[in-house]
Amino acid sequence: MPSLHRRAFLKTMIVGAGALAGTQVVRRREPAREPEGPAGQKHRWAMVIDLDKCTGCNYCTNACRAHNDIAPSISWNKLLEGEPAGDRPVFVPRPCMHCEHAPCVEVCPVKATYTRPDGIVMMDYDRCIGCRYCEVACPYYARSFNWEVFDGPNPAVPEWGEPEVPRRPRGVVEKCSFCFHRIDRGLENGLTPGVDSEATPACVVACPVGARTFGDLNDPDSPINQVLDRKHAHRMREELGTEPRIYYLCAEVPEEAAT
Amino acid sequence: MRTAIRLDQRIVFRAWLILLSLVIAAGIIAGFLVFKDGLILTNLSDLVPWGLWITLDLSAIALSAGAFSLCAAVYLLGLKRFQPVARTATYIGLIGYSMAMLCLLLDIGRPDRFWHGFVFWNVHSVLWEVTMCVGLYFGVLVLEVTPIVAKADLVRGRWPRLSAGLGKLHHVAPWLAIAGLVLSMLHQSSLGATYGVLKARPSWYQPGLPVLFMMSAIIGGISLTLLASLVASALSARRARVKQDLIEPLASFVGWLLVAYLYMRFWDLLSATYGYEAGRTEGLRLLTKGRLAPNFWFGEILLGTIVPMIILLKPRWRASGWRLGLALLLVVGGLVAYRWDINLLGQLVVVSYLEQAPGVLFAAYTPALIEWVAAAGIVAYGLLAFTLGVRYLDVVDHTSGKPVAQVVASSEEPLPALGT
Repeated sequence: MPSLHRRAFLKTMIVGAGALAGTQVVRRREPAREPEGPAGQKHRWAMVIDLDKCTGCNYCTNACRAHNDIAPSISWNKLLEGEPAGDRPVFVPRPCMHCEHAPCVEVCPVKATYTRPDGIVMMDYDRCIGCRYCEVACPYYARSFNWEVFDGPNPAVPEWGEPEVPRRPRGVVEKCSFCFHRIDRGLENGLTPGVDSEATPACVVACPVGARTFGDLNDPDSPINQVLDRKHAHRMREELGTEPRIYYLCAEVPEEAAT
Repeated sequence: MRTAIRLDQRIVFRAWLILLSLVIAAGIIAGFLVFKDGLILTNLSDLVPWGLWITLDLSAIALSAGAFSLCAAVYLLGLKRFQPVARTATYIGLIGYSMAMLCLLLDIGRPDRFWHGFVFWNVHSVLWEVTMCVGLYFGVLVLEVTPIVAKADLVRGRWPRLSAGLGKLHHVAPWLAIAGLVLSMLHQSSLGATYGVLKARPSWYQPGLPVLFMMSAIIGGISLTLLASLVASALSARRARVKQDLIEPLASFVGWLLVAYLYMRFWDLLSATYGYEAGRTEGLRLLTKGRLAPNFWFGEILLGTIVPMIILLKPRWRASGWRLGLALLLVVGGLVAYRWDINLLGQLVVVSYLEQAPGVLFAAYTPALIEWVAAAGIVAYGLLAFTLGVRYLDVVDHTSGKPVAQVVASSEEPLPALGT
């Protein structure tokens, strides 16, 4: 008798394990979003920010707020002040780095954040459970949690643009998306991101001094490759091996100050 | 005279239940407010997104580790005489894991999506692994506790058939012990790895955390089991029956584990002094000289490890009821202090990512009142569940101890009841 019960019990366990495995099948039916290396992919989006040109005017942040409909308490594109170059202040805008080896993608327990084949680190706001592990893992503090609901008017609208994506609900983590919707729509219409403004991230378009360059690292003629070929660029916390897709050009010390 | 004392005890018992119910009610209100208005009500921030509730979650899981370690000792190592202690530990484990789940429901931004981890797998994430293990192990604990409930007089008297049927789950106890051991070794360690894998946070990024989490969990889990049994029997010797010859060897074992733990924690910290590294060095300073220092030196090391270690290793001292109880309480407190320190350490030290301005800043976090109230509600729920377990399920009963073989055999006994 007892052995029969044990067998029945084990059978239930096996059926249970099968049911769990079944959820994997459900998962696989979703659109492919496995993190893939960029090699062989058609596009590899990246951005250059020239700290020598940046004046700290915050146009990029405001445009970002309007186009992505961001709550006033949150910033996808934070403007920081760096070490001054001589007697000139240096401003450092910090969007999401869209790391090739993104710690947030690795730690997210539910794959709510994932890397697209073109390298954009995406957020699935319908899947995020709000555990905030990605916030803790991000070396650049580029992620923001929706601590409260954002239901009022957006002060950046319409002065800085019109919202192009839905607002995020309370309780999920959000971050810069490289304006993937502009890139995707632009490509559909035969435009070139980084060249045509409708296909380029809002912050790049808004910059009045042209401090930002966007483009495809896989395209040798893209504006971003032209800049990177000519100038020496660095990336934040490169020692971590995250391979960020935001390149910075250093602010140069003015000649009269250097001499 | 005797009736008077019994009456007094009944009043005390009722007062205790009322007190716990009030704290639970306050906790429910706090939880409701958080669900209604969001985590903005807490003092958590984007710099310190994990606070008191995560500490309580980690502590509840760690302090439940008595269940898997004692079940492994009884059913896998063959130390069968400790079966009654493993029984108490299993019941505490079920409470602890349910407390942890309540903490997480409060803490995650979208509690309605708690099930996503079971459906949308990211096998690269340690937190996903923890989610799966905690979920599965909770199932194991339910199966392990089922016979305890089924065999309680309350159930046996009313539903003899059900009691006999469910009681048979006891046959699979060794299998459940194996499952519990595997799942627990995975997630108890992985909770340390949750912090340990984060390269961007140098004061966490080291291989020692999983091992220390695992070890402190076994120490704290067994300690809480013994402490709860002792306190229960001190308050009601009739309802909770403990045997010194079961408590004493386990207390001594915990004492020796504390020696090993202290040794490992010492080298864990000493290795953090090797050379300067932005973030790691500041973290060590924060822990030993900064804001976390009182908690570290007194809560974690002196009172949480050294004092109980000495008491538990000295036979005469651990034989004395109050000293033993005190030592075990200190171990439990030390574990919570350790989880608090580790959880905050990496978050409070903010390493700058600016190339031109390398440096370290410090974030701050003090739990809000609502966080304390909700946490107190969850702790009160745990105490209430244990109290009711002692009162109605005889979860602390060392006199029922029978070698496993006999327990298995005797579970056939209720069978005749089927005919009635």
